[in-house]
Amino acid sequence: MQVEVTVNGQAHVLEVADNTLLVELLRENLGLTGTHVGCDTSQCGACTVHMDGRSVKACTVLAAQAQGAEVVTIEGIGSADALHPMQEAFRDCHALQCGFCTPGMIMSAIDLVSRNPGIDNAGVRAGLEGNICRCTGYHNIVRAVIQAAQNM
Amino acid sequence: MVALPQKVNRANLLRSRWGSEVEQTGEYSVAADRSAVWTGLNDPEVLARCIEGCQSVSKVSDDVFEASVKAKVGPVRATFSAAIALTDIDPPSSYLINVAVKGGPAGFAKGSAEVILEEADGYTVLRYRVAANVGGKLAQIGSRLVDSAARKMADSFFAAFEREFEGQDRRADGASGNSR
Amino acid sequence: MAKEQGIGAAVKRKEDLRFITGSGRYTDDLNQPGQLYAAFLRSPYARADILDIRSEEAEALEGVVAVLTGVQMAEDGLGDLPCGWQVKQKDGSDMVSAPHPPLAVQAVNYVGEPYGIVVADSIATALQAAELVTTEFRELDPIVDLVLATDSERIHADVARNLAYDWELGDAEATDAAMQRAAHVTRIEITNNRLIPNAMEPRAALGIYEAATEEHTLYTTSQNPHLERLVLSAFVQIAPEHKLRVIAPDVGGGFGSKIFIYAEETAVLWAARRVGRPVKWTASRSEAFLADAHGRDHLTTVELGLDAQNNFVALRVSTRANLGAYLSTFGSSVPTYLYGTLMAGQYRTPNIHVEVSGVYTNTSPVDAYRGAGRPEATYVVERVVETAARELGVDPADLRRKNMIPPDAFPYETPVALVYDTGNYEASLDKALALADYVAIAERKAEAAGRGKRRGIGLACYIEACGLAPSKLAIALGAGVGLYESGEIRVNPTGNVTVFTGSHSHGQGHETTFAQVVADRLGVEFDAVEVVHGDTGRVEFGLGTYGSRSIAVGGSALCRAADKIIAKGSRIAAHMLEAELEDIDFADGQFQVRDSNRSLSLGEVAFASYVPADYPEDLEPGLSEKAFYDPENFTYPAGTHIAEVEVDVDTGVVELVSFIAVDDFGHVINPMIVEGQVHGGVVQGVGQALLEHGIYDDQGQLQTGSYMDYCMPRADDVPDLVVDATVTPCPHNPLGVKGCGEAGAIGAPAAVINAVVDALGTNDISMPATPEKVWRALQG
Repeated sequence: MQVEVTVNGQAHVLEVADNTLLVELLRENLGLTGTHVGCDTSQCGACTVHMDGRSVKACTVLAAQAQGAEVVTIEGIGSADALHPMQEAFRDCHALQCGFCTPGMIMSAIDLVSRNPGIDNAGVRAGLEGNICRCTGYHNIVRAVIQAAQNM
Repeated sequence: MVALPQKVNRANLLRSRWGSEVEQTGEYSVAADRSAVWTGLNDPEVLARCIEGCQSVSKVSDDVFEASVKAKVGPVRATFSAAIALTDIDPPSSYLINVAVKGGPAGFAKGSAEVILEEADGYTVLRYRVAANVGGKLAQIGSRLVDSAARKMADSFFAAFEREFEGQDRRADGASGNSR
Repeated sequence: MAKEQGIGAAVKRKEDLRFITGSGRYTDDLNQPGQLYAAFLRSPYARADILDIRSEEAEALEGVVAVLTGVQMAEDGLGDLPCGWQVKQKDGSDMVSAPHPPLAVQAVNYVGEPYGIVVADSIATALQAAELVTTEFRELDPIVDLVLATDSERIHADVARNLAYDWELGDAEATDAAMQRAAHVTRIEITNNRLIPNAMEPRAALGIYEAATEEHTLYTTSQNPHLERLVLSAFVQIAPEHKLRVIAPDVGGGFGSKIFIYAEETAVLWAARRVGRPVKWTASRSEAFLADAHGRDHLTTVELGLDAQNNFVALRVSTRANLGAYLSTFGSSVPTYLYGTLMAGQYRTPNIHVEVSGVYTNTSPVDAYRGAGRPEATYVVERVVETAARELGVDPADLRRKNMIPPDAFPYETPVALVYDTGNYEASLDKALALADYVAIAERKAEAAGRGKRRGIGLACYIEACGLAPSKLAIALGAGVGLYESGEIRVNPTGNVTVFTGSHSHGQGHETTFAQVVADRLGVEFDAVEVVHGDTGRVEFGLGTYGSRSIAVGGSALCRAADKIIAKGSRIAAHMLEAELEDIDFADGQFQVRDSNRSLSLGEVAFASYVPADYPEDLEPGLSEKAFYDPENFTYPAGTHIAEVEVDVDTGVVELVSFIAVDDFGHVINPMIVEGQVHGGVVQGVGQALLEHGIYDDQGQLQTGSYMDYCMPRADDVPDLVVDATVTPCPHNPLGVKGCGEAGAIGAPAAVINAVVDALGTNDISMPATPEKVWRALQG
């Protein structure tokens, strides 16, 4: 089947199998390997991207469902010389170690903060419940999200 | 009922019983007489029509069947091959169905179902008791769902099985399949 | 150089920019032209004989290139996966190690054990083909229960009683005698729950073979690529070392689970050679749950004897350790040398005896997981000390303080084979108690009671032994490899610096920390230092990262290499400045003639070394030095962790309300990174105490095989953490460092459970203290 999807501002028309997942489309078809796969039960959130402005777990969205959608991945929110405030805050606060959950965590956090501008510690902890990090113990992630919320 | 506090990891609350054994009992009423129900339960063609996702049922001998069933248990989806042996046969009132189901990487199930048919007023009451073990991916990911999947398959089977007797000696409303 | 980026500075990490922009390169992100994909055939049974594997239908599927099994692997002459640590039993005999073929040949011994590999042109086809393989098994009754295992049928023909070893440490007679004389004996039975490591990046491998050159390349998720190469060459014999390059690119966490040499990467590389095309495999999380080595899983009885003045006089420990179906790479050492040796804790207990039975079961192999033996030891010691305090009606902090090894007693030789080099345990205890406002706990308990909550506080005063050493001792105790580390520093002709280390970073931030060390030592800009690791083709040798060894051993190797750079540079500078060698001082990146204004920068000296016009005649050109550093002793980080919890009496839910960690890691290179390591370790320890449990049912089926059932700590399960430090520098390495990677996971479980027990007013609750268990305990 054919899917028309805009990813990080660029329009694509792609031929994919019916059962292709959005995360496979991003990683395999478009080579956007910043979006990671950490589980197979939709629990870990490593694959989180934005679809039409809301965070989704790309392992649970069919490529077909992204037909006509605007998808933004970690590669699309900022660049090495113009970081998104959330990326900046993650680096500032040492909110990442191995980096594997980081893209999904950042994408979730951006959505969380944009929907809850004045979010507090408890709100961040509850809001990131769908993203698992094994390295940081979350302490610095929470700090980073609150810091970014002040700069977004 | 106590309200759960907010700070609680859901995974720990979802299950209090661990184990890959499935135990289930059920009871259905079928609007047909007992010998008709018995015959239906031993007819591969009827079974093939009634088992959801059934690809084939073949009778190897009077009391041995082979079946191929496409089934889905939560995230586990596969074509399972089942070897079915009937023992303790007492027509038309009871038998023991022994089943070994294999689904390759999807895992396996093995167990037995004791089936008892009782004659009632113009219909037949079927009672079963299943004891089974599951393994492989079925146990790893699906075991929390095996109970409900088995229940759903049984319900769907008996709903279809009942329809087999529609137009025959059909009883009044209220005797359609139900489980508890 | 800029001191704000040297040793002790909270420098932002070099590696972050690629990770926060999605530019990290993990194994699954890599692809090769002509690449194929692998799926593994895995046993659905915990114990079965393999009777027949029929793969014709799978092989006929379009896109399938090969279905290979253990039989073919054996025919190709590949060897077994070895256990790298030979433990000696009580009677002096060697442990009994069962053969562990990478792909099972005749029998499978745990659910998920691989016995074949399917190679196809897409992942979907490989998985579909795996479903078409029909394997006939003869099921056998699995041996799952750790207690019953030694009275059950043999899992392996050559292993009587399913016992890999019966091991002991310490003086049994003296301990028994002291226990007899004790005024009070506290005895508890405790379980250390099985854990599943769950690094967020699942394991993966990409094997490449060049027929023309016979070169094998393996990209894989490894904490120690050189050890991987050594084992694959020397034991599995897949290829000679000089024809095998192992690369561990960005690796998404390890926590021990990526130390080991697994079946899958072995099979992938072998399959790539068989089919003549690159082959890639990436584990699904479901596979990771089944086939990554698990951690912990002990049953222990411990007795602590105290005299009438509450001095500890004897500690007797008897442990049954689950090793799983096979001995994993370091599986044998974890419940022995990394466990029994830590039983003195921070205390001057004079008589200690530990015995450990290592038992095979039909479950996944068990090996090192963050802390590896030391969390288990700390749990034993700190739970029994806590229970003794409760039984005797004394303050748990006071009882600990009374029995601590005093600061003037170092070096202190324990009754269980270690010599603690330095420490000040009371200092970290005092600091932690102050931060916890320990004296006011009664008021907080009363306040919580007013809200219908039971509040409790718990301590853990832990010690760990890091950077296993020296090699000679480790090898004498059964280690199959040395435990040194290599480091190389190349000062490039233009004065910037490339550093090569045998340590591997998979979240620890070595690219930053090691650059700080080298920049500081050589007086160059932090940004002028690049750290290379994880590639046997670029780094000469290494033993990798585990056991909190990287900075203490790998960092020390770099200090030695830097010393050599300075020594050679001084000779070059002396020649160029026409001065005597002994008059050359090196500081802040400058070689200076003492008491003069004549100097050369490191960059100028480096340039001269590569363009040797004005150059000492007896000196080789170039400015590149390497060093192998073999420590003379372990390092001994120690500290006090204090947890405070509130238990909801209606639901049994335990809320961790505060956690304080005061650790003594010696000198700290980058406090930001060190704190991050503590945070992560603590939360893994909290996970063990409250949430995580790897459960097999009696058929050996893993019941907690996904994130739906295996309860990972999430952001809202933990509070903000308080991390502080005391400092007693390590006296025997050049940086005075000790290692910080595991401390959190070592101290936290005991601290949290001690707090829960305090809240409940009971003597025990087993880990994880789930709402159900706590609720039942509350019902009495």
